[in-house]
Amino acid sequence: MSKPLAGVKVLDMSWVVAGPLVGRALADAGATVVRVESGTKVETARLMPPFEGGVAGHENSALYGNVNAGKLGMSLDLRLPAARAVARSLADWADVVLESYAPGRMKKWGLDYETLRATNPGLIMVSSSINGQDGPYSGLAGYGNVGAALSGFQSTVGWADRLPLGPFGPYTDYVAPRFGLAALLAALLKREESGVGAYIDISQVECGAYLQSPYLAKYSAEGAVVERRGNSDAAFSPNGVYPCADGRFVAITVGDDDQWRMLATIMNLPDAASDFRTLDVRVRRSSELDDLVAVWTARHRAQDLEDLLQRVGIAAHVSADSRAFCEDPQLRHRGHLVELDHPLHGRVTVEGSRYQLSDTPLSADRAAPVCGQDNTYVLHDILGLTAEQIETLESEGALV
Amino acid sequence: MALLERYRVLDFTDDRGLLAGRMLADLGADVVQVEPLDGSSARTAEPLGPRGSYFWDTYAANKRGIAIDLENPAGLHDLIAQADVVIESAGPGVMDSLGLGFEKLHTLFPRLVYVSISAFGSTGPKSRYAASDLVVWAAGGPLDPHREKDRPPVRISIPQAFLHAAADAADGALFALLARTRTGRGQHVDVSAQASLGTATLGRVLAHTAGDVSPEWEKLVDGPVKKMDQSGSGSGTDPAKKKWRCADGLIEFHLTVGRASGAFTSAFFRWMASENPDYERFASIDWREVPDMVARGEFDDARFDEARGAVAEFLAGKTKNAVLEAAREHRLLCVPIYDTGDVAASPQLDARGFYSTVVDDAGREVRMPGAFAKVSGETLHVRSPAPSIGQHTEEVLADWVGTRVMENAS
Repeated sequence: MSKPLAGVKVLDMSWVVAGPLVGRALADAGATVVRVESGTKVETARLMPPFEGGVAGHENSALYGNVNAGKLGMSLDLRLPAARAVARSLADWADVVLESYAPGRMKKWGLDYETLRATNPGLIMVSSSINGQDGPYSGLAGYGNVGAALSGFQSTVGWADRLPLGPFGPYTDYVAPRFGLAALLAALLKREESGVGAYIDISQVECGAYLQSPYLAKYSAEGAVVERRGNSDAAFSPNGVYPCADGRFVAITVGDDDQWRMLATIMNLPDAASDFRTLDVRVRRSSELDDLVAVWTARHRAQDLEDLLQRVGIAAHVSADSRAFCEDPQLRHRGHLVELDHPLHGRVTVEGSRYQLSDTPLSADRAAPVCGQDNTYVLHDILGLTAEQIETLESEGALV
Repeated sequence: MALLERYRVLDFTDDRGLLAGRMLADLGADVVQVEPLDGSSARTAEPLGPRGSYFWDTYAANKRGIAIDLENPAGLHDLIAQADVVIESAGPGVMDSLGLGFEKLHTLFPRLVYVSISAFGSTGPKSRYAASDLVVWAAGGPLDPHREKDRPPVRISIPQAFLHAAADAADGALFALLARTRTGRGQHVDVSAQASLGTATLGRVLAHTAGDVSPEWEKLVDGPVKKMDQSGSGSGTDPAKKKWRCADGLIEFHLTVGRASGAFTSAFFRWMASENPDYERFASIDWREVPDMVARGEFDDARFDEARGAVAEFLAGKTKNAVLEAAREHRLLCVPIYDTGDVAASPQLDARGFYSTVVDDAGREVRMPGAFAKVSGETLHVRSPAPSIGQHTEEVLADWVGTRVMENAS
């Protein structure tokens, strides 16, 4: 079965997480994706855990492996004009260019959309940045944690009595690619009819703020600022994460009054069933209620509580660490974890496609490249350079 | 012409999937929200205000609305026949029981793209699990690493799990439409919120299969050198070490080290030294070299603590705006932690035309984020407010089917 983007050609000049995730999805969908990076300024994701075998090293990051699976690897030192000329040729070859450099950098290299479009009028280009390509703060440096701070997420995570804890990691890195991909795929659909390309400017801060739309609308109408509230919720109580006897945690949400009565019965707390009968009371006294539930959960294993509560229709799940995630029977049923051959590590595991299509499935078919792994293929087979030309580039130091 | 102008979407989702249709509508598709006669459950989704749900107001914006008796959906097939995409989030089996499941509709309308959003996916041992935002956040991985040592893992106070899934669903719908341009066939797009979330852990969910036995973030920062957090975002560093009090709020700043982004820390201390020469002792350190210095025993925890103390002292006298201006001027990796009011008033978002204001059917102005992307030649914004119940039933029938009457509709 032909994949949805078979034949589509992509130059991926993005790095770390947000941009590469877009390229990863395109590779899963069958596009030929050439990932350009340089060994002279090592891409940050290569320095980040988790590492294969627990050993830090530029070729060992499972994070890098996850966001770059399925791509061809090309190393280019873009500080050199000869390397930039290769990038320019790849942009002429490509249907799609992805980049996440600081705004203005691509223009300095002569690789901005206006320039590339002159020789490739159907080109679609996606620029992903923290604040967008224009505006007073477009020049600010940043990773996703900066995006999370400026989009309001940092302030909305944590306990009311403590400093904000921040979402885990560079949160807007996980949010922005889903939106960048939507705009890009829509532009590809449009191009199928019209042949016309597009330039897409994605701001991590804007994508993060978009996921707070209801709260920003409420603020505009009522001046209400979102407060950190731990795990408590306005619509459900108890709604919490509780310690268990085996050192793990279980998340539990009680959906309505009936479920609360059922939980109180299971916990053998008939008085609590009536004391906390209504949602209003449960929400108002939620920390008291959390203490009651925590005393009970502390006597049981987390998995046993998930099983027990789900059997009676109460939402519950172990707080999954990596092992629980990798061994989860539901994720296994979906084939969500995929093993691939790797030139250095034998076999590596990546996450599968998040879009399960029944007729034309998306899939990662190849591990992420080691740096420069496909230089010859890209230069010779894709760009048609001769062995002599490739040797010249090598001797100039352009291919590192 | 808008990117998706020729596409029609019939959106059956409740609050778990409402965002997917909004995204497609923003990109120009004609998205029709289908509600039961008494209105969508998303109309009562948090956060609420005096006139209803802001969740509905925002994520149903740019859509038209029809209301229909879903227990007896005769006539609906005429509309489905005109749709390119159906999106639903009712949970496995529910649409089947209404005669609106994928198998049946695929037989009748083979070009239809059918998107299902659910907590765990359409099939499998947990597909019928009871679910909530918190429970899916736990099952998908981002909850567990996100904790202070003496407290349980904590979620984001604004529910996120189904928003990630709904955004993935919009992407999945577009992949399926692209496939259709080649195959002529529609298909089922099955999105699991649990599976959507692994990507929100920075690869941490893969630690087990990678054989990285101790990737815990709390152990990283002051551990042996091979575990030093060299990320630019400080994802491997205790969050408390990246938050600083300033004169009017909080600042996010990670003392990053190593070749990839240590230069930002050097720049930060140069800024401090430019205002007070006492800080020169930190500015003279090349923070790119610190991991190597630690390895050689030339840099220890006490020096980190001393540097952190100086940062705390310095930032305490700065305002959020002053820090943001300095970050711009000196290219620092350091920004204020915005609260909702700061985001609403952001000069950057304002300059980018990020917000849209629309007037709803009751004459009330609603201001909300209007665009998630800037696309050349297009203006993404909110064109119309969220519909009232059944507001566009006649209009949609006339547009899509060429009739103004449908049985069981209002």
